[in-house]
Amino acid sequence: MNDLRFRLVQCFSLAFPELKAPEVYSASASSVAAWDSMASIILANVIEEEFKVKLDYDVLPELVSFDLILNYLNENNQNDNQLRRSEK
Amino acid sequence: MQFTEAIKIIRDFPASDLPRLHVRLMTGFTPLHLQTFLQAHLQQRIPGKCVMVQTDVYGDLTGALTRIDPAQASHGAIALEWTDLDPRLGFRQLGGWGPKELADIGENVHAKLSALKESLLNLPDHFPLALSLPTVDLAPIFHTPSWQLCEAEIRLRHAIDEFALWATSTPNIKLVRLNATLPPFDLKGELMAGLPYTLAHADRLAEAFAKLLAPPLPKKGLITDLDDTLWAGIAGEIGPDAVSWDLDRKTQHHGLYQQLLRALSDQGVLIGVASKNDPEIVEAVFRRRDLAIPRDRIFPLEAYWNEKSESVTRILKTWNIHADSVVFVDDSSSELAEVKSVHPGVECIRFDGQDYNAVHNLLRQLRDLFAKQAITTEDSLRRESLRSAAVFRQAPPGTSHENFLQAAEAQITFDFAAAKNPRSLELVDKTNQFNLNGTHYSEPEWRAILNAPNAFAISASYRDKYGPLGVIAVMTGIANDELLSVNTWVMSCRAFGRRIEHQCLKAILAHFSASELLFQFSPTPRNEYFQRFSESLLGEKPSAPFKISRALFLDRCPKLYHEVEFHHE
Repeated sequence: MNDLRFRLVQCFSLAFPELKAPEVYSASASSVAAWDSMASIILANVIEEEFKVKLDYDVLPELVSFDLILNYLNENNQNDNQLRRSEK
Repeated sequence: MQFTEAIKIIRDFPASDLPRLHVRLMTGFTPLHLQTFLQAHLQQRIPGKCVMVQTDVYGDLTGALTRIDPAQASHGAIALEWTDLDPRLGFRQLGGWGPKELADIGENVHAKLSALKESLLNLPDHFPLALSLPTVDLAPIFHTPSWQLCEAEIRLRHAIDEFALWATSTPNIKLVRLNATLPPFDLKGELMAGLPYTLAHADRLAEAFAKLLAPPLPKKGLITDLDDTLWAGIAGEIGPDAVSWDLDRKTQHHGLYQQLLRALSDQGVLIGVASKNDPEIVEAVFRRRDLAIPRDRIFPLEAYWNEKSESVTRILKTWNIHADSVVFVDDSSSELAEVKSVHPGVECIRFDGQDYNAVHNLLRQLRDLFAKQAITTEDSLRRESLRSAAVFRQAPPGTSHENFLQAAEAQITFDFAAAKNPRSLELVDKTNQFNLNGTHYSEPEWRAILNAPNAFAISASYRDKYGPLGVIAVMTGIANDELLSVNTWVMSCRAFGRRIEHQCLKAILAHFSASELLFQFSPTPRNEYFQRFSESLLGEKPSAPFKISRALFLDRCPKLYHEVEFHHE
């Protein structure tokens, strides 16, 4: 969880270089001026490469804050683990 | 390159006070990823400048071209797609895909290409532009099945081909060639965000643009091994007649390698041999008429039993070029490692005769390493001029160097229209040893220097009884009444030892009335030869720009034997 959180902070720092480290945790589309539709695609691409996941264009409009993205990645992670266990 | 890596390259680049390089990217779609990748690839290739990639309004290529201000952007890149020629050829418009629309689409494509041509013609002829032709497949607009090529599609592709043919004949435009291995199109990205390219495709296209706008310097020489490389088999063991390079003995790939070396030799690449071998046996193989590269294309040929790195050292000395301009090909990994340990700059590549795919890749890799935009007269003269340079370095026994120079029947032609000759910039960009300050120029920067008030550009061509060397020196500067400031001065290493550099100075002093020369000198790790020349005039090696008076130069200039001719603009 902590590792995932740390890696997500790195992704935010790349997509929003002007954001200071403590601000990342509370970052959202409404609080970060640079977070427009293009920035969210860049953020999605960076997260995709970092976590080897596919963030579909369908879910992007819902992922509008650091916490929401973290929850999404956690859920994805758990689903993947369950799937792997059931396959065994 | 990963997208994250591209962002990091851009973010981590220390912009500080480096000069900016502005590149204009023109697309009909949202250029988001392409822009990021292009900036990153260019930044990697041009570390001495801070690259800025700017975009224009999407979907208006001809308009974007007319809005280019060469004062604001020095390079351009256009990613042309079918939708730029008619929106119905894509997926974001619903204008119709029926047979009725096809004729209209064809006319539209022709009209759009004509308009594009006109806009491109209006660009300054020194504005470098990289252009990619449609990379995304056509939408399913034809009534024939996808495995059948129909007339309507041929007509569309023909229009593009005609446009491409015209573009390649335009000196400032270079066309992208991509190897189609990855699917370039992302329908969901196109419909949801106007991003038609997959990330991998955007990266590949951006890299191709960057290579066209900031091309790598071509390598100059190739040193090859012989046994199991230039031919199959060990000549010393099976005999000169039994080594092979043909289909019958399943060794054709060695013949293809010979054929490529000959082609490279034709374009001016120096080909040498470093082989642990018996020289007589080697010469016997080279007497065979079926060899695809004749013996006279190889100079020098080093066939001895000593370390390969020693042979490479001698070849580099004969060629008088730096190790990082050279490629060494051998079938033995240990020989490659031995050469690499002594000459780390040499690019060492293995010829693996057991792996046909590896040989195929090697042939393509060699083409890329030695690729040139154009083949000049000087390229065809290079090999012979090196032979004569070797003669110059080793004057015949019983002859003093002075007598040798006197008997060489040397002629130098100075051309004051050097600015018009593309060879001038090429020479400036690839010459290191006799180079006033090591400054390399982009085409626009070169034009700006030549267009400055009171600017002059002069080139020197040389020939003697051993043969012509072609254009071997270029000098640019600013000529004021009393002071002649030299900004650029390079001379090919093939021309060393002939006092051509002295004749260059004598020539400009004869042409201009200035009483003093100011050299905008800067030491570089490679311009030792120029430093030694300066030392011969100044009495010490310079460390910064320096001046020499007319009187001092004439006093210290050795006797010159050249016959001199001037061509004025």
